[in-house]
Amino acid sequence: MIKLTTPTRPTRLDELLDARFVARLSALDLTSRKVLAGKMKGERRSKRRGESVEFADHRQYVVGDDLRHIDWNIFGRLDRLFLKLFLEEEDLALHIVIDASASSDCGEPSKFLLMQRLCVALGYIGLVNLHRVSVTAIAGLALGPDGQPTPQLMSSVRDLRGGRRLADLGRFILQLTPGGPASFTEACKRIAIARRGKGVMLVMSDFFHKEGYETGLRLLVGRGFDVYALQVLSPQELEPDIAGDLRLKDCEDADLTDLTITAPLLKKYKQTLAAYCNRLRDFCAAREITMQTIPSSVQPDVVVLDYLRRKGLVQ
Amino acid sequence: MTFLTPLLAGIAAAVAVPTLLILYFLKLRRRDVEVSTTLLWKQAIQDMQANAPFQRLRRNILLLLQLLALAGALLALAQPEIRGELTPGQELVLIIDRSASMQSTDGPPDDPRARQTRLDRAKAQALEMVDAMKEPGLLGSAGDRAMLIAFDTSADILTTFTANKAELRRLINDISATDSPSSFAEAFKLAKAHLRRRIHIDDREGGKAVTFDEQTEGGALVHLFSDGRIPDLSTIRAQREDQVVYHRVGRSDAWNLGIVSVRAERDFNTPSSVSVFVAVQSTSRRARTVDVQLSLDGRVVAVRPVELPAAQTVTAAGATGPDAAAPTDAVQTLVPSVRGAVFELSRAEGASITVQLRHPDVGLPEGTLTGEDLPDPLGVDDVAYVILPPARRLSIAMVSEGNFFLTRLLRSMNLARPLQVVPPSLAQAFIESKDLATYDLIVLDRWLPSRTVDGAPTLTLPPGRSLVLGAIPAPPLGLTDQGEAGATVALNWRRDHPTLRAASLENLIVNKGRKSVLPDNVGGATVVLAEGQDGPLIIEAADITRSAIITTFDPVQSNWVFQSGYPLFLVKAVEYLSRGGIGEDALTVRPGSTLTQRLPQDAREISMTLPDSARVPLVQSDAGDVNFGPVADVGIYTLAWQGTPGPQDATDGGTNRRTVASNLADPAESDLASADSIALASKVVQAQGDAQPLGAKRLWPWLVLVALAVLMIEWWVYNRRVAF
Repeated sequence: MIKLTTPTRPTRLDELLDARFVARLSALDLTSRKVLAGKMKGERRSKRRGESVEFADHRQYVVGDDLRHIDWNIFGRLDRLFLKLFLEEEDLALHIVIDASASSDCGEPSKFLLMQRLCVALGYIGLVNLHRVSVTAIAGLALGPDGQPTPQLMSSVRDLRGGRRLADLGRFILQLTPGGPASFTEACKRIAIARRGKGVMLVMSDFFHKEGYETGLRLLVGRGFDVYALQVLSPQELEPDIAGDLRLKDCEDADLTDLTITAPLLKKYKQTLAAYCNRLRDFCAAREITMQTIPSSVQPDVVVLDYLRRKGLVQ
Repeated sequence: MTFLTPLLAGIAAAVAVPTLLILYFLKLRRRDVEVSTTLLWKQAIQDMQANAPFQRLRRNILLLLQLLALAGALLALAQPEIRGELTPGQELVLIIDRSASMQSTDGPPDDPRARQTRLDRAKAQALEMVDAMKEPGLLGSAGDRAMLIAFDTSADILTTFTANKAELRRLINDISATDSPSSFAEAFKLAKAHLRRRIHIDDREGGKAVTFDEQTEGGALVHLFSDGRIPDLSTIRAQREDQVVYHRVGRSDAWNLGIVSVRAERDFNTPSSVSVFVAVQSTSRRARTVDVQLSLDGRVVAVRPVELPAAQTVTAAGATGPDAAAPTDAVQTLVPSVRGAVFELSRAEGASITVQLRHPDVGLPEGTLTGEDLPDPLGVDDVAYVILPPARRLSIAMVSEGNFFLTRLLRSMNLARPLQVVPPSLAQAFIESKDLATYDLIVLDRWLPSRTVDGAPTLTLPPGRSLVLGAIPAPPLGLTDQGEAGATVALNWRRDHPTLRAASLENLIVNKGRKSVLPDNVGGATVVLAEGQDGPLIIEAADITRSAIITTFDPVQSNWVFQSGYPLFLVKAVEYLSRGGIGEDALTVRPGSTLTQRLPQDAREISMTLPDSARVPLVQSDAGDVNFGPVADVGIYTLAWQGTPGPQDATDGGTNRRTVASNLADPAESDLASADSIALASKVVQAQGDAQPLGAKRLWPWLVLVALAVLMIEWWVYNRRVAF
């Protein structure tokens, strides 16, 4: 919960992804509950009818069609000419949205570090399986013209494909500096507008947005993405260990709250947190967003190999 | 404005104010913590404030504590108190004996060597009682009040009921002892009169008997500080509910030697021979010897040793007192021993005689002292004064036809020159001659000189002093003669008049008297000494130039001449008139009583010099008396005036002087043994022990401190928000 004064910022890719983890990730591939159209032939069934080996549908023969696809069985029975239609194999687009606002930089272990690790892990799976991988970071700090870090709305890297692009992915992830307020709704709007085509979207955040997460998530779902939501919470947010007479300062908007921690207040806070997370879960369930709350103390391999596999993102 | 307990307030402030400040500042200090989001915390706080039941409870606890603190402060305002030995709101009467016996220096029982008078001890005890009085509280509620009475022969109210302790202390310290004997009756009456009364309305049998007493406790709470040597205690009736607390001072084994009686007399036949009789009393249980020293006009002329045996203790059979609670045991009384000394002097002139007791000078023995080892504690009764008037031989003239009896009687008196008998035919010329002034007194037997007043001859008194038998002068210096009367007896007469003390008028039968009446406007110049059925029988008349004793009847026409009272009357009248109308023992006075002297009518610039040489101006009344009182000290009082001297007064360059002696001469007062109990007519009051009276403890400061502590706790509860 408390902002760390000396957060750990990884500087090399192997800090995010160690060799043993890589070995296990290599066996995985991304999946989607919904069959999505891809732009190029990949090892993926798409709904678009094209030339492939799998029979999809029939169409009446029209002069000019390819004579190789005539289904002779039906001609034999019905004495009419029909063409076989085949499912075209397509690649899967993976879009990872990572919350780089100041609130992610809190917690022990850092929420942002977990998000970084998961981002690299899933990106690796996508890249080695010839999927298109894009990563967008909401908020975050960038070096301004005067050399000082200034908050930005978002930053992204797009359409990475193939294992050779892993280094670019890593570089992008590593240079991310969390900070600044998150304009979740505005960022989601930009993502939704800029995104062409369809794919799988993974949103990693704590979803503690004062403006509300509903509009943003609604915008993301509406464009036909298969949205997965991962709420990352630090153990201190789950079980606060602060006490006494405090003045709490919100690290994103500097909002001040004076309070004195008492047992009933703690109980009330946990109730409020539980209610908030339940509301988020219900919201996501109503819009077919697969949502999972994980503490930042969980290991990334447990997240990928256990949670995400169960949820159907990887297989 | 003064503060009674500034130290308490200071300590409380030193504790309370920093604590409050510390708590206040502790409350404000908050740790700054940066968190990922305050979204949930804010929601949590709002939810809690909305409907947490504990919040209400905590508010109620604070309310309860604040109510407790307020209750403490309000109770403190109500000023609860624990009852001590003194009932709150008590009205006390402090009566302090300042008589002569209270001057004895027999010291406190535990330290006999300390030379402290009994009055000092009594004053100290009274001051302790004043200090123990309950203070008046805040907001005007009254504390204990005390009334202060000091008494010797008479009682003075020094202050009526007051709660002003400083005033009471000042008045107590100002009490000084007098040389008067003690009498408690007036003091007790004064105390009773000033206390509140209970109202009883008793309307049995139709009549309403109303008595008043507003005190719920009833009765008087009287504190008597005395040594108990009060002669008239048995005459005082105390009610059952009256509480008399007797604080005893002095030792019960105190001894005293004192002069109880002194008298100087001239021999009848040889007036220049003077005998001085001195009686000395001892209440000591040891035989003692004392020297009696006689001084004439300040010069010691004789010293005589007197041996006094020890006083005897007599055991009387037990007797019950009139209202005593239990029969008393056999009563032991100490009978003092009295011995006398007689001095014979030869002195024709007047003198002031001083008799002084000289004790042998013995130091105090070592070790424990009993009362008998102390020197004579009371010095007031070791000295006495007697005024010796000058010896005089009288010159008397008589106007009579021949009165064998009278002539013989007058001739037997000690006369300077033979009795001059003038027949009535020559009397008028004699009266108007210059010879009359050479005689001290003229006796007129059935004859009065006449003068022409308003054309009619009237009988008048001759100038100078005269004794008139059987003739009535006309007013203003006489009576209105109304003619002959029949037989009469003496109905009423002044028994205290020097001439009538031994006159035995009770057996008088007058055969032929005269009817007469005292005119209304004589203005005190004529005083009736004896009265019969038909008017005055014997009168005394005096003005500036004439004074006379007059019998309106002829003693020969009565049975008086056959009685012994008649010559005594004549002698006394002669002496009285020749002394200028002063009684023979009028030159002594008791301390505590009033000194009265008759001066010649033309006296002016009258003043009295006291034994301590202070001078007091006096005013002469219409009858010629001057009064000075009460006489406080033993000693010589000198009356001085301008004008005509009396026959026995000394003249010194135009100023006339008359000296009067004041002696204690009281056997009861000279017996110093302090009484264990005082027996009033209706009850016996035991002496109180030395227990200190407790005052009422005030509780309200403690309540205020408790209220402060509760306030502290309330503040602490408000600030401690953990672990409920």
